[in-house]
Amino acid sequence: MSLSKLLFLVLIVSANLFAYPNYSHSLKVKKIYPMGEKIFKKRCSQVDVAAYSSYDALLSAIQKSTKCGSLKTAYQEALALYLWDHKSVKKRETNYPSLDVDHKEKCPICGMFLYKYPRWVAMIEYKDGKKYYFDGLKDMFKYYFLHPKGIENFFSRDYYTQETIPLKSAYLVLGSNVYGPMGNELIPFKDKKSAEQFLFDHKGRSIIRFKDVTKATVHKLDE
Amino acid sequence: MIKLENVSKIYDENIKALQDISLEFKEGELVILKGVSGSGKSTILSLIAGLSKPTIGEVIVDGKKISKLPDHFAASYRRDNIGIVFQKYNLIPELTVEENVLLPLFPLNLKREIMKEKAARVLEKFTIAHKTGVMVRNLSGGEQQRVAIARANINDPKIILADEPTANLDEKLSREFIAILRELKSKKRTIVVSTHDPLFFELDFVDRVINLEHGKLL
Amino acid sequence: MSKINFYLLEYAFSYIVRHKSKNIFIVTVFTLLVALLSSLFFVTSSVTHDLKERIAYKSDIFIQNYKAGMPAAINTKLLDRLLEIEGVTGGKVEVKGDYYFRAKDSNFYLYGVDAFEDQEDPLIAKLLQKYDLDDSEMLVSDNVQKIMSQAYYKEYFNFIKPDGSLQKVNIKDSFDVGERVELKNLVLLSKDTLRKIFGYRADEGSDITLSVANKNELEFISSKIRLMLPNAKVISKDELEQSYEKLFDYDNGVFLSLFIIAIFTFFIIIYDKANGLSSEEKREIGILKAIGWCVEDVLHAKFYEAALLSFFSFTLGFMIAFVYVFVLKAPLLGAIFTHENMLNIHDFTLGVHIDFSYILLIFLLSVPVYIAATLIPSWRVATLDADEVMR
Repeated sequence: MSLSKLLFLVLIVSANLFAYPNYSHSLKVKKIYPMGEKIFKKRCSQVDVAAYSSYDALLSAIQKSTKCGSLKTAYQEALALYLWDHKSVKKRETNYPSLDVDHKEKCPICGMFLYKYPRWVAMIEYKDGKKYYFDGLKDMFKYYFLHPKGIENFFSRDYYTQETIPLKSAYLVLGSNVYGPMGNELIPFKDKKSAEQFLFDHKGRSIIRFKDVTKATVHKLDE
Repeated sequence: MIKLENVSKIYDENIKALQDISLEFKEGELVILKGVSGSGKSTILSLIAGLSKPTIGEVIVDGKKISKLPDHFAASYRRDNIGIVFQKYNLIPELTVEENVLLPLFPLNLKREIMKEKAARVLEKFTIAHKTGVMVRNLSGGEQQRVAIARANINDPKIILADEPTANLDEKLSREFIAILRELKSKKRTIVVSTHDPLFFELDFVDRVINLEHGKLL
Repeated sequence: MSKINFYLLEYAFSYIVRHKSKNIFIVTVFTLLVALLSSLFFVTSSVTHDLKERIAYKSDIFIQNYKAGMPAAINTKLLDRLLEIEGVTGGKVEVKGDYYFRAKDSNFYLYGVDAFEDQEDPLIAKLLQKYDLDDSEMLVSDNVQKIMSQAYYKEYFNFIKPDGSLQKVNIKDSFDVGERVELKNLVLLSKDTLRKIFGYRADEGSDITLSVANKNELEFISSKIRLMLPNAKVISKDELEQSYEKLFDYDNGVFLSLFIIAIFTFFIIIYDKANGLSSEEKREIGILKAIGWCVEDVLHAKFYEAALLSFFSFTLGFMIAFVYVFVLKAPLLGAIFTHENMLNIHDFTLGVHIDFSYILLIFLLSVPVYIAATLIPSWRVATLDADEVMR
């Protein structure tokens, strides 16, 4: 092999050796971050991600450390990715309120017991601290239009992941073939991609944002 | 008291057990039905007891057409007014004397004390009270006879029917039985005995002897 | 008929005793039939209950690759593809399987673990928290340790790989499986070591399991995956639960055969009974009528007679089955009941979980039928003229 080709190869190899890996977002969120988090908590809590200026530096530090060095390559990578991608997110970490309801909680609009439909629970939090729980976004909006003042925030569960999400930034799908306890519903998603996938899978009609919801929108759902 | 009006009893294969019999038994009478086996005497007893119905004619006991009575009334009528002594006694060997004597009253579900009292009374009367708790199978022939008679009398019935009562007894026991009959007659019971035992034919306290042959009166 | 007539009851009892041999036969057959069917139902109820409880430890979706109609290794890259599906919130590649230890004719259940993966099974999760397993170590259940040490493997064990060479793995410690008898022969070791033992490549596994946060989507996602992977077996937790409901259903061969035999035998008894009474029995009814019992009284006594026999037999049969299944744990015959569904009865603790609808069924099919079979001929006789008594 000629010298130039060899040099080229070395360049490629070394470049890829420590390059920031190109995994899809889903893969990272569903597999890599959970694993990285576990490794961090169990073995390598002493690694301070703020001390490193690049992903590569972080990764090589992990490889060289005594505690974490003995880990397999895949684990080291997971740890590095987790730490690197979350260091900026760390400050923005908010704790959204839990949407678990007790056996007595009833929806103020329709009167149904909420503990029977845990996946559909929506909540309005008012500035005076009062929280109202509903068995779906439709009833939540009905209540909101009747009491629009003094709102702190709206919450519901992302349809796919069941995590609590703030509705003001959510994507809502209308006209799908998935029905809630009150029939036709607005289905909430935390990002556009999952909303679009849902729209396609379940023959939804449209995706709207929170601010687009009007009384007419809700009224139409009941037709 | 007891009337048979033009009674005929015909069985399935055209066996004529009785042919156009008309009889009357007055209250307090002791009547002997005399005849050989198959002459119809048992059939007459059966009709009086209401255990079978006449094919033609009526059986009237104490003013009631008993062949027309529904089963429930016929049974309670029988229980309260008729005591039957069978040829083979038909006692239940594995039950005690007391239980056998009370057998007709079992369905009434009376209180224990009342049942015991009734039993005691009738067992005393027929001098078998000393064997109250003994199983019938452990009794002698004569003792069993007295239990059978006691059972027939548990409800103080107006009518006593006896079917060949002495057929399986020796002379001594037969005479004992006749003595009991005499006593019952003195209490104004209507007694009908079907028998071909000659001991019965010369008795002074017998009111009538009715002869039967082939289901007809002679 | 609100109060029990104890006199009639006593009469019925003495009647039963008077016909001892015939009634002993009836009671024996009746009892055995009830015991047989009850045992079957006890075993199946208990096993179904345990299976349903175990579903809690299973993942939402289970995917296994099939080749030529037989289970085959699955490619680990498939997991990455599946995680792209919206609604799938997690997943992992499993490496697990049975290892046959010929020397002691036992099967070990080898399960590959990864300390940094989510572990649904509470027993395994607890063990992984306690121990750190490296590639050369394994944890074995108490029973496996016993078997291994009987074969003189006390500190380590040599697994035979598909190519005939040996894989030595050190026994780090043993554990008690407690109530989880289905994990009696469990061995935990690292996935990579297990791959070597089973001859899986580094990019292969035995199956993939997925979690789906919103159970509403479970069916939809399962069908999506089936379209994606035509060769795979895709089982969702819902389907598993439904299949357990139908596991010991009426089309189960063992159930049907036993049931038919039992009904058959029982009806022979009924036929004999319903076909009429002997002349002696007729006579007795005649006597009762003669001394003043009405038809209703006779039937009342007959009812007690039939009820005493059938209730006694039923209760005895029930108790025998109860002791046989729940106390003695169904020795010998027990395996037949579960064999058809390819379940090993020893994988279950056979706790007392009785589905009373089955017991009620047996009761209704036997006791009232027997009582009716006794009453009907008695009624026929009792309504006839009882003048034979006079003969």
